Amino acid sequence: MNTKKSTTRAWLALAGLGLVLSGCHSSVKQAASTASHEYLLTVTRPNQLQVIDTETNRISRSCDIPGYFGSGSIATSPNGRIAYVLSNKWEDIYGFDITDCKMVFSAKQSTEKVTVKTFFSLTLSPDGKELYTIQNPVGKLPDRYQVMQPQLAVFDTSAGFDVQPSRRWPVDRRITKIATLASGEVVLGGADLKAIDPQNGKVRVISKLQNWERGPRWLTPDAFAVSSQGEHVGEYIMPYVTAEFKDDSMNFETADWWWGMSRVDLSTGEVEQLETVPFQFIVFSWVTDPHDANIIYGAFNTLSKHDIKEKKTLAVTDMDHTYYTINMTSDGGTLYVGGTSSDISVHDPATLEKKGSIQLPGDMSTADMRLARLQE
Amino acid sequence: MKQISKKSALLIGGFLALAGNGTFAAAAQPMSGEQIIQQQCTACHTKTGDASKPYSRISQQRKTPEGWQMTLHRMVSIHQAKISDAERKQVLKYLADTQGLAPAETAGLRYGLERDGNLVENNDPAYAEMCARCHSGARFGLQRRTRAEWDLLVQFHMGQIPTLELHSLARDRPWFELAMNEVAPKLAEDFPFETAAWKAWQAADKPTFAHAWTIAGYIPGKGDFDAVMQVRDQGDDRYALEIAGHYADGRPLSGSGQAITYTGYEWRAALTLDGMKLRQILAANEQGTQMTGRLFMAGANELGAEMVAQRAAKGDHAVTRVMPSHIRQGTRQEITLVGAGLQGTPELGEGVRVIKTLSAGTNRMRLLVEADKQAAVGLRDIRVGQIQVPAMLAVFDQVARVEVVPGESIARVGGNGMPVAKVKSAYRAVGYASGADGKPGTADDIRLGHMPATWTLKAFDETAEQDNDLKYAGTIDANGIFTPGDAGPNPERKMSTNNVGNLSVVGSVDDGGGQVSGEAHLLVTVQRFVRSSVQ
Repeated sequence: MNTKKSTTRAWLALAGLGLVLSGCHSSVKQAASTASHEYLLTVTRPNQLQVIDTETNRISRSCDIPGYFGSGSIATSPNGRIAYVLSNKWEDIYGFDITDCKMVFSAKQSTEKVTVKTFFSLTLSPDGKELYTIQNPVGKLPDRYQVMQPQLAVFDTSAGFDVQPSRRWPVDRRITKIATLASGEVVLGGADLKAIDPQNGKVRVISKLQNWERGPRWLTPDAFAVSSQGEHVGEYIMPYVTAEFKDDSMNFETADWWWGMSRVDLSTGEVEQLETVPFQFIVFSWVTDPHDANIIYGAFNTLSKHDIKEKKTLAVTDMDHTYYTINMTSDGGTLYVGGTSSDISVHDPATLEKKGSIQLPGDMSTADMRLARLQE
Repeated sequence: MKQISKKSALLIGGFLALAGNGTFAAAAQPMSGEQIIQQQCTACHTKTGDASKPYSRISQQRKTPEGWQMTLHRMVSIHQAKISDAERKQVLKYLADTQGLAPAETAGLRYGLERDGNLVENNDPAYAEMCARCHSGARFGLQRRTRAEWDLLVQFHMGQIPTLELHSLARDRPWFELAMNEVAPKLAEDFPFETAAWKAWQAADKPTFAHAWTIAGYIPGKGDFDAVMQVRDQGDDRYALEIAGHYADGRPLSGSGQAITYTGYEWRAALTLDGMKLRQILAANEQGTQMTGRLFMAGANELGAEMVAQRAAKGDHAVTRVMPSHIRQGTRQEITLVGAGLQGTPELGEGVRVIKTLSAGTNRMRLLVEADKQAAVGLRDIRVGQIQVPAMLAVFDQVARVEVVPGESIARVGGNGMPVAKVKSAYRAVGYASGADGKPGTADDIRLGHMPATWTLKAFDETAEQDNDLKYAGTIDANGIFTPGDAGPNPERKMSTNNVGNLSVVGSVDDGGGQVSGEAHLLVTVQRFVRSSVQ
């Protein structure tokens, strides 16, 4: 995914799927430019889904979510109409029509005897008919806990309320964010990046991280992702930090420290793994510029812009406070930096200059900030 | 001499079981800890049928009183155990007595019980990244479990803190597999349920506590003190305390309190001294002649200091403190000796003369003392009657260096309408004379003891300077007590950060007109929202 062409193709593939479902017969290109409207979705405390119009940067509506807040991870249907939210301390999923806040789906993963947590792992099949989560169950016996096998759970999105998984497949421990390839496989962000076929549970490695074979001069990467994004270009990024040692003594002081990423083109399934820029400051999440796959943006205490081909930082700006997540409109015109507190900072990707701020009624904490391209 | 016998406790329990719990519960006598376990805990904990380990999960662990206290608290607050506060205390006492740790098993880790948070640990690498990245080494080192129980502790962690495997130092490795297959077996080997030390302690005669004790310690903001603590037996290992004594400057000190002992040697007291609410967490030595530990503020556990209690019963002879513990060549000063069975004229070593005995009690002697101009720099043994204590008094020429203790410390922002109070930190200056080599900072330096100092703060490094930590992180008073800033984001600061900071605490001792200073490192950080008896 090194060219503008490929990222555009990725986006068109996703947009096309939405159009097929919505029954629109106009061409994909036309639809992308005229017949859809982009919304930014997030969750705020105490527990509300916020639907924000990216044209006005104002909240269009707020939908009450049942249960306690957490984690606020969001997955959207291909037609951009339904937002699925992880709620109630990382256990329940609720689906809302973002045009009227009507609840259309619910699933409680935990039972009286088994607590099931999902660590941000929420995605939909390309046709939107299935919802996938990674379940981390722990049995609650009268006098002890029993750790159980994590699994990919498959839910039928048309099944309404209190939906039970229709299939389950065993997966690794420590899986965080997931995403679906156009092929239907689900990318699993764990120790290594893997892909699972939700039809038969078959798993393949797509990008080694913990088990990479670079020899003793490279530190095992610390790969971690809390928030999902990348829908503006159809990508999945698993960022990591690693160190390249000067010699076999593994001296942390003299090593070169790097940010890196395994980046997946969700339309083709192509994966690239590379060190992007030297580690100078903490970045919690990254997005790629839709016009140039060599340009990435990152956010945490700073908002930064990097050329990963040149391994150069192009611009850095200090933020008003810590922000966990970042996203971008699919035309590449606006950067949104959010999470942690109760505001979304709006920036110009060219200069990183702050263009505005969206004040929210509550803290976003760990919530996602995702784009929904609503077909109209 | 009392003995704690698990066997006899079980026998009593067995008898009561035969007699019928319902009948007993209706009787006037409150239930014993063992009976409460049988009645209230077996809703979840199964009876194993093994008389030596009768209940699942409970009988396969040994812990300190604080360890059991935390377990019981969790059972009530999270697992809906239906027991009253009074019953909880009964069960705590029973479990700490019958499934505690032997004195030798707590050695080296007592700071974990004494709530002294300013200690830099050096944990076994096998535990450093697995257990000690969240807990102190004392948290797990003060527990003894069967192998199966250590395994279940890993499972418990995953049930209670499901995101555990995603933490830094966990997510880059197969955390759960490492915990189960490597760390739990090592814990079972290093901290096994069955030990010779515990068997021996169960069989040993236990100390008695209803005596007079001479106590000596330090109260931040008040100073050094010594007192006599009268301990009166109230039955069931509970005691009433009366305390009367003096601060180092002669002001009187008095108060009273309550104490309880666990496991035959673990002394826990709540007392009020001069209106201050204080706690003692002490351990008696196996002979029962001395208790050592920490005295601290009930409402601010970080403000405290080590404390010693010397039994002052008939036949006890000891010197536990010399205040101050140093005298300059060619000077005359008062010195107080604290101990038990003090009789006769003290000898303070070569070149140090007792000019006059100002007061002579069996537990406390005040002396006017003079050191010769020519007295050699060095430590002196002290003799009082049949008592001889080595290296208790230092003769010095000048203060060559000052060490500020604790050298590494943490304070935490708090208050400001938030539910967690500020955590302060308190410092003392320790003076040293150069040894024979005439150079400070070498192995032969002579420790002179605590000295009065003046206190200032400065930025620890360049970043702290740029962020103006000195302005926001807090202030230090004339007693060396640091009070951190208010909690919450501060709009005045870069990124509206909290009033955190990275500071140096500077203590300056007046050495005959010249100032000798030392520095300690202080990190002012955010609140600790989850607090435990053993961190």
